[in-house]
Parts: sequence; structure tokens; C-alpha cells
Amino acid sequence: MEFPSQLLYAQDQALLAVMIFVIMLGMGASLTPDDFRAVARSPRGVFIGFLSQFGLMPLIALGLSIVLGLHPAFAIALILIGCLPGGTTSNMFTYFSRGSVALSISMTTASTVVALFMMPILLTLYTGRFTAQISETMRAAGAETDFVIPTGNIISSLVLVLVPVILGMILRKKSPGWAKTAEDTAGFVAIMVILYLLLTAFIRHGSLFLQTPIQVYIATIGLGMAGFFFGYWFSRLLGMYPLFQRAISLETGIQNGPVSFAIILLSFNQPVQSQMLWLAILYSTFIVMTSSVITLYFRRKGRFDWDIYKNTQIHNRLFGKKFVTNYPEGFLPHRLKTDPSQGTSPVQKRE
Amino acid sequence: MPLPKNERIAADHLAGLYRKAAERFESLPAFATREKALAWKPVSFRELYEQGLDLATGLIDLGVEAREHVGLFSDNRFEWMLTDYAVQFCGAVDVPRGRDVSDPELEYIIEHAGIRVCFVETEVLQNRLLRLKNRLPGLSRIIVLDPKARLKEGASSLQEVMADGARLRKQGDKRVFDRIESIRPDDLFTLIYTSGTTGRPKGVMLTHANMTSQIRNLPGIHNPNDRILSVLPIWHVFERVIEMYTISFGGCTYYSNILTLGEDMKNVEPTFMASAPRLWQKIHEKIIQGVKASHPVRQVLFHIAYFLSRQYRVSEYFLTRKQLKINKTPRWKLSLLYPFHLLRWLIVLPWYGFFNAAVLERIRLSAGGSLSATISGGGALPIHIDRFFNYVGIPVLEGYGLTETSPVISVRSKRNLVVGTVGPPLPETRLRIVDVETGQTLFPNRELDHQGRSLRGEIQVQGPQVMKGYYREDELTSLAFEDGWLRTGDLGMVTHNDCLKILGRSKATIVLSSGENVEPEPVEMRLQQSQYIDHCMVVGQDQKSLGVLIVPALEAFRQNGSPTATLADLAQNDKAREIIRREIRSLISISGGFKKYELIRDFRLLGRSFRVGHELTNLFKIKRHVVNREFEGDIQHLFKNQSKKSR
Repeated sequence: MEFPSQLLYAQDQALLAVMIFVIMLGMGASLTPDDFRAVARSPRGVFIGFLSQFGLMPLIALGLSIVLGLHPAFAIALILIGCLPGGTTSNMFTYFSRGSVALSISMTTASTVVALFMMPILLTLYTGRFTAQISETMRAAGAETDFVIPTGNIISSLVLVLVPVILGMILRKKSPGWAKTAEDTAGFVAIMVILYLLLTAFIRHGSLFLQTPIQVYIATIGLGMAGFFFGYWFSRLLGMYPLFQRAISLETGIQNGPVSFAIILLSFNQPVQSQMLWLAILYSTFIVMTSSVITLYFRRKGRFDWDIYKNTQIHNRLFGKKFVTNYPEGFLPHRLKTDPSQGTSPVQKRE
Repeated sequence: MPLPKNERIAADHLAGLYRKAAERFESLPAFATREKALAWKPVSFRELYEQGLDLATGLIDLGVEAREHVGLFSDNRFEWMLTDYAVQFCGAVDVPRGRDVSDPELEYIIEHAGIRVCFVETEVLQNRLLRLKNRLPGLSRIIVLDPKARLKEGASSLQEVMADGARLRKQGDKRVFDRIESIRPDDLFTLIYTSGTTGRPKGVMLTHANMTSQIRNLPGIHNPNDRILSVLPIWHVFERVIEMYTISFGGCTYYSNILTLGEDMKNVEPTFMASAPRLWQKIHEKIIQGVKASHPVRQVLFHIAYFLSRQYRVSEYFLTRKQLKINKTPRWKLSLLYPFHLLRWLIVLPWYGFFNAAVLERIRLSAGGSLSATISGGGALPIHIDRFFNYVGIPVLEGYGLTETSPVISVRSKRNLVVGTVGPPLPETRLRIVDVETGQTLFPNRELDHQGRSLRGEIQVQGPQVMKGYYREDELTSLAFEDGWLRTGDLGMVTHNDCLKILGRSKATIVLSSGENVEPEPVEMRLQQSQYIDHCMVVGQDQKSLGVLIVPALEAFRQNGSPTATLADLAQNDKAREIIRREIRSLISISGGFKKYELIRDFRLLGRSFRVGHELTNLFKIKRHVVNREFEGDIQHLFKNQSKKSR
């Protein structure tokens, strides 16, 4: 396949950089030091989330790459995305899917920090066969060096990306008004820039969409979907509450796309860079759509247990911590009573 | 797996409803009273039931008979509900009215309804009633609801009566269960006196069957997870039906009030709420102020979000056939519009999705964030408020009814959310639209196009919710009905998607936005005493205060030396306006026997006179709906000025 050697022009790259900055600033603006402390308060949920994010997701990416026989550059990008930490997008989707936003935020913060060392390890572990393939092609073309995963660069890109997050947190502390605005604008900016990138790609390299092998589409859509699916069942089998199941499911499937842009732009060179970037753009586009659909599904499915959770929470808020809400016989459906994820009575066991 | 989505208790009478609710919902909270912002006192269905039985036994012991009328003068509070439980268990009838009842009304109601036992809320009310007592020989017992009230001689406290009853029940007193057994669906459960400014209050007789039909037929899916915030006065049948309905599905009613509403909405996070237009207007104002005070970037985001939401909703309404269909749209036009709306809906969808999530959700959070629907009744909801809430994603279900129909005749449901209408009639309810002048049935009428949809006339109703009649007012009762149909006195039409649209009133009564009912005729008759006024008509439906349209008496002005040739000239004449202003002020005054809300705030001189056969009947009676239509511009102008002045 002939891939355009220059997918993005300089101005697009600059735009992308601005977008990464704005989004990470927005992410920081939505965080408070308390969110870090909250991680310690629900260690079980965050740990299961961690297993799901850094255990399941990279394996899913690896599996998809092998099964679909992806081009090594695409495969590396897919695994890279599989290893990413979560982003603020997942918090928003969790909110609307009636999941535990607190857990989602905790997982996002924890994974962002953990990614600093997990990502290089996982990438080196899982991409071996694909780097070997690239090195072979490069040597056949007369190159003298081997292709290696630029671990050092990846770490420094991650650190660099954390700078606006910290700036955002400082902003939140200094001016909550601006922080709220930054938070609101970030999501909007992300969507605009992704759309812009898609549109310019379409105009400049219209045939790119046709040239991209169907496997890449399947992989980019499938990665998120598989993440949702396995994240949901993994946490459910481990006995988490429905509220947490939904949060972990979304957190697993939704990765921090902008971070992948930053890493790809800063750590990888041509010829693989464009291909990797293209896959990242496709993933970021499709994940918005798939998570919207999943959110609508979760929202409907979770309506009942959310209502119970909310009602008992408000009873405790208004009538005192000791108040116990006893629902009438037969009101709680069988699912909520016998589901291993529910523990005993969901009425008594709350977040 | 089937979820228990719409469980409602069915019962023949309210006492049965209360008993079944206690058996089914047991310790779930039924009502909650605010003590502090985050400290509320709940009462469970079981507790309320047991206390109700105690109080009822106490009342029976005091000699309260089955079907006896028991006065209940109180605003919303838990004891109100307790008293209602007890009165229903006795098989008696309560006669409710708010704390603000005036002395003459109090006297009239107690005398007319033959009340012997009377509950009053406060110490103040107790004292007022004691002063009136020597003029009310029938009144034998006053019971005070407020536990903090200092009792005077001749009054007892609710707690006392309840404690007596509890003791008797312990001793094996089972009389209350015999009473419950003997209640028939056709028995009255309440006698509500409607306020009238002229004439006497009328006692509307509502039966258990009236109320249970409402519980059965109201649309909506609710369950014990629902929280209902209550702000309207409970003695209004609209609020009462909502509370009865809430009991039937096991929800909890939280008593709030206007002052703490904003705070309570955030703490209680109600899932459902019933209120009057005035309150929605206030909440709307507050939201808009909040937006204006927010960061400029977020203001812009809000406007984008609202714009997108409007585009999205309008197309959605079209595609799901929920747009207002006053006239029949030809099929070819629909088929042309369909692709347009489908395309727009699809294009707007992702953008709407994003902004709905990022921006509009914040707006919804200011109303607690859990509202799945709200219901508005008791007056016309201004269309812009209606649209606003529906566009930001808080479905407002506007309903329509009268005290005489206990009260819901029709209401929008989520499936039938046609903005600008009051929805389809409830199940078991039949409507007809009758021509005001000819008396011909316009809808349903097979001989007319589309069975008479979109034709305007008086709304008449038949159904299980229609009252038995006015108490001891046979003549008024027979006037209220026309061959078995209740005349609502409101003008309306049926739209092409079978929803009812209210178009005003055919009865003369004007309902101000404050809820005061004003009979315009006495005011007009007084005004016509002026030599300068030829004709006049008082207007002000849904406004803050009254205004009047005036056809000046040209002759009188000429004689007075005004060289004006036509009415149109006179309307522009400042001197004439001044004369009329003085006339109104001297004729309609509080010292002249008018009430504060009957005073005229503004007037408008009309450029032409009323014509016989058009605005006037052959007997020179004003046809109000014609004047409202013909002088619509003048009326709007009148109230535009009024709102400016009042600021």
C-alpha cells in the first residue's frame, strides 16, 4: 500500500499540538488533589480498573493485530493505543451512562500516572515481532540500523503531556471560573480538531479512506468495542456493582487519544509515523461514536439500579446515615438480588 | 427481564388506597418534612396508616359520623395528610381550605357545609375561629394541627385526639374498620369550596370514584424510587391528586415551599414535580439569570446548545408527529417536509448530542438533575416557557382541568408531548366542542371536515372524574351541565393529532397569574356609570393585574369641548386619556368596595366602537371571545405597557 509520506502539514501538526495542550489543560482543570486521594479510598475499584486497562486492553490490541494481520506500523500504533491511560472523555461518558464518575476520575488519574512506566514496559513486551518486521524491511531497503521502540522519547512525551494537566490543576485552584470554561471548551475543541483532521485528510488524500485496508477499520472500531465488552464482564465477574461495571467498561474502552498523538509525533519518525497517526485519528473518531452508542445502551440498562442507588443515597442524605430503605417484596428484580456483582442487598451496600 | 415499571395500587376508595399502600410499601417513606436544608423528617406508609387509624378512632369517639363534613383549614404539612387519612378512614368528608381563608369565607363554609368538627392549622387560626364561634352554633369542636400552638379553651390538639384513639384501639376498638368497610365509591371524599369574588363560594362535591379514576388514568411510569417535590397548596385538587397518585405507586412526597425551592430541588433531586405556570416562569428567569452571570464563553456555548436543541427538537417533533397540528397539512407538503426534517435531524444529532451532554446537562442540574418529567396545571403556561423547558430537556407535561373534574381532563404524556396543547383527554374521558353561539356540536361531528377538528368552541366533558355537583346548589349544578356534559366554560379545539388546545375562556371569569379569580361584570358595570365610557371590557387572563378596553363616549367628550371628530382621534388624545384615567380611579377603588386585585392598572382607548352582531349580541352583551380576537393587538399593547410600568 502506498501511504502518503506526509499525512499532516506543519500547520496541522501545530494545530494538533494546540489541541493536545487545550485538552490536557481541560483535563487538569477538572481534577482536584482530592481526586488523587480518592484513589486510595476505593483501591479495589481502581485496581480492577488498572488490571482491565493495562492487562486486558493491550492484550486485546495485540490479539487484534495478529488475528487481522495488520501492517506492523498499524499494529504498533494499535498496541500503543491499547496501552494508553484513560482520558476525561471517559468521565463524561460514564456520567451519562449512569456509572460511577468518582471511580472513573480515580481511574483516569491513577492510569495517567501509572502509564509513565507501564507504557514503555508493555510496548517493548508486545511489539517485538512487529519491530522485527519493520527492521527487516528497512534493512532490505538498505538501512543500517534496527527499528526500536523509542522508550525514552515516549516517557518524555508523557511527561511533557502532563505539564498542561498540572497547569490545569493550578488554574482550577486559582480561578474556578476559568477552569470550568477550560473544561467545557476542551471537549468541543477535541471534536472540532478531529473533524478538521478528517476533513483535510479527505480533501488532500481522498483515496486514503479507500486505500486503508478494511482490517484497520475493524481494528480501530473493534479495539474500543472489545474494551467495553471485556471491561464490563471482567469487572462483573469480579463482583463489582453495576455502577462500577459501567465505569470500568468505559474506562477500559476509551483511551486518551490526544496522548497517542503527542507520543507518535514526538517519538516516531517517518515512514511509520503517518500510518500510526492515521490509525490514531481513526480510533479517536470511532471511539466517540461507539462510546455514544454504548452510553445510550448503558443508560437504559442501568436506569433501574441507578434509580435505586440515587434514591437510597438521597434518603441517607436527608434522613440521616442510619436510615435504611426497604423496598417491597418483588420490587428489586431478580438480577439485582442474585447477581454476584450485587453482593447481598444493594440497598444496604452502597458506594 | 420484566421490571416492575408501572405498579399502581388500585382501590375503590381512598381509605382502601391508604391501607393497601401501607401493606405494600410498609417502611418506605411516604412524606418528608423539611426541618433543615439537609435534615428532613420522613414518615413511612405504615406509620401514617397506623397514626391515621388512631386519629380516626379518636374522631369516631368524638362523634364524627360517616359522611359527615369535617373542616380542614391548613397549608401543606404532614398533619394535613394525617388528618385526611383519618377523615377518610371515618368514612367522612373533608372540607379543605388554606390558612389564608378570610373570616367571611370561614363563616360561610362552616355554616354552608354544616361542619361540626373543624381542624385548623395554627394558633392564629384557632383564635380567629373561636371569635367567630358564637355565630356558628353547629360548630362543636376545634382541633389544632400545629403541635407548638398554645391551645385555648374549646380547642383540642390533634395529638390528644390521636392519643385517645390509640388507647381505644389498644383496648380493642375496631369501629374504624367497620367504617372503612362501609365506604362506597360513590361517597364523597372531599367538598372543595372554590373561591369566587362575587357571589358565594361553591362547594364542589368529589367522590372516591372521581379520585380513583384519576389515579388509574393519569399517564406516566413511576415507582417507589420517585421523589416528588411539593410546592402547590394541598387544598387545591391538582396538588391533591398528585399526592394521591404518588401514594399509589409508593413514591415519597417532599414538602417544600417557594422560599426554599431552589435549595430543595438540589438536595431532594426530585424525579417528578407538579406546579403552576408562575413557578415555571420563576425557574426560567433564574436559569436565564444564571446563564447571563456565567463566563462569556459559556454563554456562547449555551446559546449554541439551545439553538441546536431547538433545531433538533423541532425536527424530532415533526418526525414523531408531535408538532402542533392546528390545520390539516396536505399530504404532498408533508412528504416534501419529511426528508428536510430527517436530514436536519441527522445533521444536528451529533452536535446536539455533544452540546446536550456538555452544556444543557448543567442547566438540568440546577433543577436537581433527576427530573424525568414535570407537570404544569392551574393556568396557561406561556408558550416560550413551555418550549424552553422542553428544549433544554426537562419535559413539561401541561395539563388541563377544573376543580369540578378532580381535576385532570387531559394532559400531555411523554409519548404525546405536543407543545402548545394540553395533550389528549385521559382514558375513559370524552370531550366535545360546542359552538358558543349556535350550540351545535363541532367535535366530534361526522358531518364536518375531519370530524370538526381545529374548530373552536366550548369544551364539554363526560367522564369518571366529573363531580357529583355543587353542594346544596341544585340550580347552579343544573346550569353547569348540558345534557349530561359538564360545561367547562373554556374555549378550545381538538388538533389533528387529537390533542386539546385551550384558546381562552368563554365564561367571563378572568384568572390572573396570581391565581385570583375575577368576575369582570361588576367592574364593568361600575365603569359604565361614567358618562365618558360607552362600552368597556375588562381583560387580564393570565396577567399580573387587570386592564380594561374602553370605547369612549364620543358625545360626552364633544359636549365637554373636545374638538375630536372620531374615536380614532380620541384614542390619541392625551387630555381624553387623562379624563378616563381619573374616571377609572374614582370608580374602581378599594374604598368603593373593590378588592386589591380588582383594581385597574391600565386601560386602552379603542379606535372604533363595538358593533352589534359582531362584538355585541343583539341584547348589547359583550361577546368576550370576539373582542379578544378583534382587539388582540390592543390587549397585547396594554399588557406590554403594564409589564414596563411594574418594573
